[in-house]
Amino acid sequence: MSHQCTGYSDSAGMPRRRFLNQFGMGLGAVALSDLVKSDLPADDSSGGAMDQLHHPAKAKRVIFLFQSGGPSQIDLWDHKPHLNKVQGEQLPESIRKGQRLTGMSGNQSSFPLVGSPFKFEQQGESGQWMSELLPHTAGIADRMCVINSMYTEAINHGPGVTFLQTGSQFPGRPSIGAWLSYGLGTANQNLPSFVVMVTKNKGGQPLVSRLWGSGFLPARHQGVRFRSGKDPVLYLNNPAGIDRSSRKRMLDAIDALHHMQLEKQFDPLLETRIAQHELAFNMQASVPEVVDMSGESKETLEMYGPDVHKPGSFAANCLLARRLAEKDVKFIQLYHPGWDQHGGLPGGIRNQCRETDQPSAALVKDLAARGMLDDTLVVWAGEFGRTNYCQGKFSGGNFGRDHHPRCFSLWMAGGGVKPGAQYGKTDEFGYNVIENGVHVHDLQATLLHLLGINHEQLTYRHQGRRYRLTDVHGEVVRGVLA
Amino acid sequence: MKSVKYIVRDSGRLFCLISVFFAQQFFSPPLFALQENNEVDFNRDVKPILSDRCFLCHGPDAETRESDLRLDTESGVAGVVVAGKPEASDLIERILSEDEDHMPPVDSNLSLSAEEIKTLELWVAQGGNWEQHWSFVPPKKVQLPKLDSVWGANAIDQFILSRLEREKLKPSLPATKNVLLRRVTFDLTGLPPTIEELNAFKADTSDEAYEAVVDRLLASERYGERMTSDWLDVARYSDTFGYQVDRDRFVWPWRDWVVRSFNQNMSYDQFLTEQIAGDLLPSATDDQILATTFNRLHSQKVEGGSVEEEFRVEYVADRTHTFATAFLGLTLECARCHDHKYDPLSQKEYYQLFSYFNNIDESGLYSYFTNSTPTPTLRLLKPEQKKKLATLKTSLMEVERSRPENSSQGGGRKGIEKVLEVKGTDPVEVVDFNAVGGGNEKTTDARGNAAVKLSGDDAIGLKTGNFTRYQPFSVSLSMNTPDKKERAVIFHRSRAWTDAASRGYQLLIEDGKLSASLIHFWPGNAMRVKTKQEIPLNQWIDVSVVYDGSVDAAGLSIFVDGQEMELEIVKNKLTKNITGGGGNNIAIGQRFRDRGFTNGLVSSFKVYDRQLSSLEIALAHNPEQFKQVLLDSNANGELSSLQLRMLAEHLELNDSETFSKYRTKLKSARQALCGELDRATEIMVMREMDQPRDAFVLGRGLYSSREEKVSAATPSVFPAMESTLPRNRLGLARWLVDPNHPLTARVAVNHYWQLVFGEGIVRTPEDFGSQGALPTHPELLDWLALDFVEHGWNVKRLMKQLVMSSVYRQSSQVSDEMLKRDPANELLARAPSYRLSAEMLRDNVLATSGLLINKMGGSPVRPYELAASFKPVKPDGGEGLYRRSLYTYWKRTGPGPVMMVLDASKRDVCQVKRERTSSPLQALAMLNGPQFVEAARGLSHRLIASNQGQPVGKLVDEMFLALTTRRPTGEERSVVAELYRTQLEYFQANPDSSIEYLSNGKFGDYGKLKSGMKILFPANDHDFRLGETPNGTEKFQGEFGRASAWGRVLTAKEVNRLYGVDRNQALDANWKFELSNRKPIKATSNEAIGENQELSQSFVFENSSKLKFSKGLTFEAWVKPSRGGLGRIWDKITPGGGSGLLLDLHGGLRFICGSVVRMADRAPAVGQWSHLVCTADMKSGQVCFYINGAPAGGDFSDPVEVDDSEDLAVLAAWSSVANALFNYDECVTKR
Repeated sequence: MSHQCTGYSDSAGMPRRRFLNQFGMGLGAVALSDLVKSDLPADDSSGGAMDQLHHPAKAKRVIFLFQSGGPSQIDLWDHKPHLNKVQGEQLPESIRKGQRLTGMSGNQSSFPLVGSPFKFEQQGESGQWMSELLPHTAGIADRMCVINSMYTEAINHGPGVTFLQTGSQFPGRPSIGAWLSYGLGTANQNLPSFVVMVTKNKGGQPLVSRLWGSGFLPARHQGVRFRSGKDPVLYLNNPAGIDRSSRKRMLDAIDALHHMQLEKQFDPLLETRIAQHELAFNMQASVPEVVDMSGESKETLEMYGPDVHKPGSFAANCLLARRLAEKDVKFIQLYHPGWDQHGGLPGGIRNQCRETDQPSAALVKDLAARGMLDDTLVVWAGEFGRTNYCQGKFSGGNFGRDHHPRCFSLWMAGGGVKPGAQYGKTDEFGYNVIENGVHVHDLQATLLHLLGINHEQLTYRHQGRRYRLTDVHGEVVRGVLA
Repeated sequence: MKSVKYIVRDSGRLFCLISVFFAQQFFSPPLFALQENNEVDFNRDVKPILSDRCFLCHGPDAETRESDLRLDTESGVAGVVVAGKPEASDLIERILSEDEDHMPPVDSNLSLSAEEIKTLELWVAQGGNWEQHWSFVPPKKVQLPKLDSVWGANAIDQFILSRLEREKLKPSLPATKNVLLRRVTFDLTGLPPTIEELNAFKADTSDEAYEAVVDRLLASERYGERMTSDWLDVARYSDTFGYQVDRDRFVWPWRDWVVRSFNQNMSYDQFLTEQIAGDLLPSATDDQILATTFNRLHSQKVEGGSVEEEFRVEYVADRTHTFATAFLGLTLECARCHDHKYDPLSQKEYYQLFSYFNNIDESGLYSYFTNSTPTPTLRLLKPEQKKKLATLKTSLMEVERSRPENSSQGGGRKGIEKVLEVKGTDPVEVVDFNAVGGGNEKTTDARGNAAVKLSGDDAIGLKTGNFTRYQPFSVSLSMNTPDKKERAVIFHRSRAWTDAASRGYQLLIEDGKLSASLIHFWPGNAMRVKTKQEIPLNQWIDVSVVYDGSVDAAGLSIFVDGQEMELEIVKNKLTKNITGGGGNNIAIGQRFRDRGFTNGLVSSFKVYDRQLSSLEIALAHNPEQFKQVLLDSNANGELSSLQLRMLAEHLELNDSETFSKYRTKLKSARQALCGELDRATEIMVMREMDQPRDAFVLGRGLYSSREEKVSAATPSVFPAMESTLPRNRLGLARWLVDPNHPLTARVAVNHYWQLVFGEGIVRTPEDFGSQGALPTHPELLDWLALDFVEHGWNVKRLMKQLVMSSVYRQSSQVSDEMLKRDPANELLARAPSYRLSAEMLRDNVLATSGLLINKMGGSPVRPYELAASFKPVKPDGGEGLYRRSLYTYWKRTGPGPVMMVLDASKRDVCQVKRERTSSPLQALAMLNGPQFVEAARGLSHRLIASNQGQPVGKLVDEMFLALTTRRPTGEERSVVAELYRTQLEYFQANPDSSIEYLSNGKFGDYGKLKSGMKILFPANDHDFRLGETPNGTEKFQGEFGRASAWGRVLTAKEVNRLYGVDRNQALDANWKFELSNRKPIKATSNEAIGENQELSQSFVFENSSKLKFSKGLTFEAWVKPSRGGLGRIWDKITPGGGSGLLLDLHGGLRFICGSVVRMADRAPAVGQWSHLVCTADMKSGQVCFYINGAPAGGDFSDPVEVDDSEDLAVLAAWSSVANALFNYDECVTKR
């Protein structure tokens, strides 16, 4: 029967094209258009809902290093020497202004201020302030844009992460990556356009799959989670006992049956199914290839640090992110949990930095060395910041900080962002933004802007309304653009 | 640059849902372009344009309305339209204008196409009449259309045909019997038809054959499961709470209620009423109350530090949205923050609806530290439990009736003094404030006793306090509050506040008053009393909290300065334990994440395990004064009844044997009742509070931004609720099922239509409003809706009506031309064809494989795929792997990944329609997922067994038939047979691959083959031998009797029988060693063998090298070893090589075959004859040893049920064929 099979390289091309021409409006067309897309430049944007980019893109892809739990900006980025001076004193009401606190520290009787125990220094020619916890990141100071004036609306993790990833605090909306997949389609037909990786074996606040879900967008836009085990994608590997030749024979037979069926009756949905089988077969080869790091040079591996050899570590995921970026995956989302330091902050944050500092910096350097940083946007951010006062009683040494939505810091690099820049200011207590506040929706608008999308125009109609990532808000933060 | 003012943007803004900023063509182009002579239909042609492009600024939302012009009302439209004169109408003029006043404005990103402008002009020319939105007008009685041709089985067909005739089209031919049976069986039961069912249907040539099938399916219990599977999406059913922490919750009895309701054909109006308001029905049954769990299936929060009210409001909103989406087909979310932009629903009306669902005694957070069921709840009792509870209640009442007469305390100074001398038992704990450390400041109280000033952040922990609710106890203390506390924890026995739902008991200051509570789950399962008066500030007061163990708020009192306080009973609904959950002892002044008694002073803290008498309390406050008052009153003969009662009570509590006995009896009766209540399982339901909770319009939907107060009312666009109906959920349900309601029946029939036709008549089932799709067959929708109501909302009747129609029974075959003309099949000139649902796809392979366990109901099960979910769950063993998908454990934050890939609903919010997408992940899941791989083997196993000796083609036919309900064509047969042939070749050449492939999944236990114990019979040229290696080494020291070998595994029974046979008697074995064929091996070496050399014997079985015992093997040998340690018994081994087989003594009795090494658990005795047997199942790797007929170690668990005759390569090859066919379009698609 093999003579009946046209094989996977060329079997589906003709009828699909025929289909596209004839049934441009049909049900299967949208799904299919994702697939027929080959390696086109991102600004061609075919395959997505957008006919063309709204303006030229600076970034073709995003690597989002999500630091889940809320890293303490006071101990990493936002240098507040004043806090060390007033350490132990009460948070003045003139600063707090009666704003709501979480139920965790909101009922505390006192709010003793705590300065950072870590040394801050200015780094690079740009003189970025950074704490001693980030020796490697210091090395990319002149490539980064640090925003110290982020603020959000959520005070707890669930709503906070959901807000940053979907523009709403409550479940049900598509995540950024899903919006991009929907709007821009995919640039590599053998890989998903939105890939998610979560650092393995980290405790901390739980992450849930809807954070990379597609919400009301079609499910194919949801993030595909790469696992660190033997199946990087759900059931990617053939079951034990079925090798690639066996699998091919099985798919060839199905393909033959499908083509017999097509001869009897043209059916766009069947065409789609044929194509999906082909893509599945291709993914079985392309995904293991992309996750196989054996070809990486010793220098590269060393740059990411010793953890790079542990599958599922942040370092390994950062390196994998670069490999996926090379394959033109549009949105690569990493999650690194564990930043929720309500207590034991000095030790906890040191550990977190040990796991993330070197790989994050290495990723930026690696991209730059390969000439990819120009069109790859790297974002390092958590869902909110931490309080300038101590959670619970301050007894020196080992203290904790509660969630703080009023200000936090993040950095971006590459992809059209101003290098070596610092943006926005907080008051001397590190409590409120006093200059150039950047709301979460502003960040989202900026992100889309860099990808050539007007955030007000990428919309999807659901339940009678048009939705967008930024709800009805958001302004592009021009001040951070290169 | 943005200024600071943006930062005060408020937290928690919820849904702001409008984002119309650019023009996009959303409506699929009309099937047929509007012609000049066409009549414009306002609802069909005009309204969608006005709604989508104009309503944002000229619609229902007053807030954003520009220039007071409304285009959503008749009068508004009349102001800008001159009937019949487009050129004189402002509306048209502004649309056509090329000036600045052009509409829609350029900056709106909206525009009108030429076609749309033409439509509007035509409409004005034809009179520009306005109509209420179609779905808000009750369905009108519709005449059956007149037709030119004759076709169809029932009324449905006439409507469909009428439209087809208008389009000059014809319906398709009927589907084949095979296709039809497959289609209707899936639609009504979610499962494929069996071959027997197919044969029976085909054999029945009567006119009623199909109807009989339909009736059979509707009567099947599988029907209820299929219908429920669909309803779980609507109800956002999940076995966990959702949000981040996502713990398990117990709600599956509700799911089983739904299955029962469908199977019993509960009428739709009842189905709806019980779910919305079953608790409010007159003398509601448990089942009716259980139905209301529907309203509690939303996500629930437990994340630490969350604001309780924020999430409670979220729950109420979810209920409201679910109600609207499920039953009204409307999306209300918009109106949560502002007036609806498109539909005539104001924000106020939203909160009026909201207020129906706002009145249950619930918390916005469930309990992190305890497993209490969030209130309100229903006790789920088995009949025997109910009986037992009734008995225990009666016993308690009997004990209560046996209360002794009150003792009377006469008087006289002497008598009183005597009473005053009676002392109760000492406190179980007295806090020593001198010894208290931590952040609290030591001080003294007004009496000079040691006291503390509390920091509010440091608790003072006690050693006692773990009291039950049926046990009397008291706590007394002195305290002093520096200010009027809104809330402060004075003392408590609990792990935490909201994080434990306050389980335990507590004394708080609330709004300056004292409040004492006993709590299982706050607020719905608790008792609380609160003083009517505020306590004084900056003043020491003596406070006692006394509880009598009665589980009634009347038995909980608060005393201040010796006086019993007047109390308000806040809650009196404690029905479960107040113990457990941690925090077992009393803590003073602080609680986890609660507000402590900051700067409050406390002293003289005592804990009693008994009820203090009022006399003791009064005495403790001021002994001298109180004594004097009593004595004076007595002397004046003026003892008040209160004073008398106090005296009597004191005696009863502390000096009366009668009362003491009574109290013991009472306590044990209460304990028995409480114990039984504690054992009862509970499920979340609705239970209306006595007083509705106040509801408000919430500014921008924000929980904390209360505006105008509202009460329950239905939106004014709908017919008003009958004045006789109660303004609660029951009234709401009755209003909904009023036959005159424009939406309820339409939404319902549309939903069921969608269930069998894949798409609704209204293709946006979630939105019947202005922005929703128009019905493809409006008259049919109305006819069906009215017919449904007239026939008592009979769901099975409706389902039958739908599947009996000729439209349904058409073929789905379509010509290229028709496909182009009507790609979305809106005209239904053919039957629809679409992929089966996720549940059907999985259930299909389970059913055809024969693995499906058709057990109904019960706790959720965990199939394989859950191990691969984002929150991995260990799969069940046994039948849990093979239940229908309906019963799969649904974890909200990590649902079954295969279900998700196959487009199952996420079940996070009410969803009435699923996406149907296509992705490569689907192919991967169905080719590689263990459930599918295993089912393929199940199917093959079954078919191989029933087709022994049949040609390959026969089996191909059977497999094809099982999976597609038809036989393959010759061409198809040869493709499948060829696949089988090539796969067989492959597996024959790769026996390891066969075993590996067959080891996926548990069915058949082939897994054991894989577990590294598989035994491969050695391929070498050596004969079997006894007593030494081919090198002549490792000689056996001792004697041999009979030795035999079999090419199969002997059973324990057979082994035992062998043991009974004389050691020199030959047996019927494949190979036996007996005197007659004994062939001593020539002396092989000079090796010293030890002192028993003369006993050493070696024998070879000539020509035995060709023997291949590849399935099973049994060695037998009678031996009399002369020493322990080394010594070869049986041997077939390549010297120095790995490949070989042996049984020897090697520090014990040992068996080796290839890499498999097994040891017996004992060895034959030295110097005695022993009968040794070793069996090896080559397939399963099971090795068993026997010594003297009794098991001596090895694997004696149930043997693997692999049929001896089964050829693994054949099974593997067929399995891979079945696995491939699972992905064949006809197996996957309903057609």
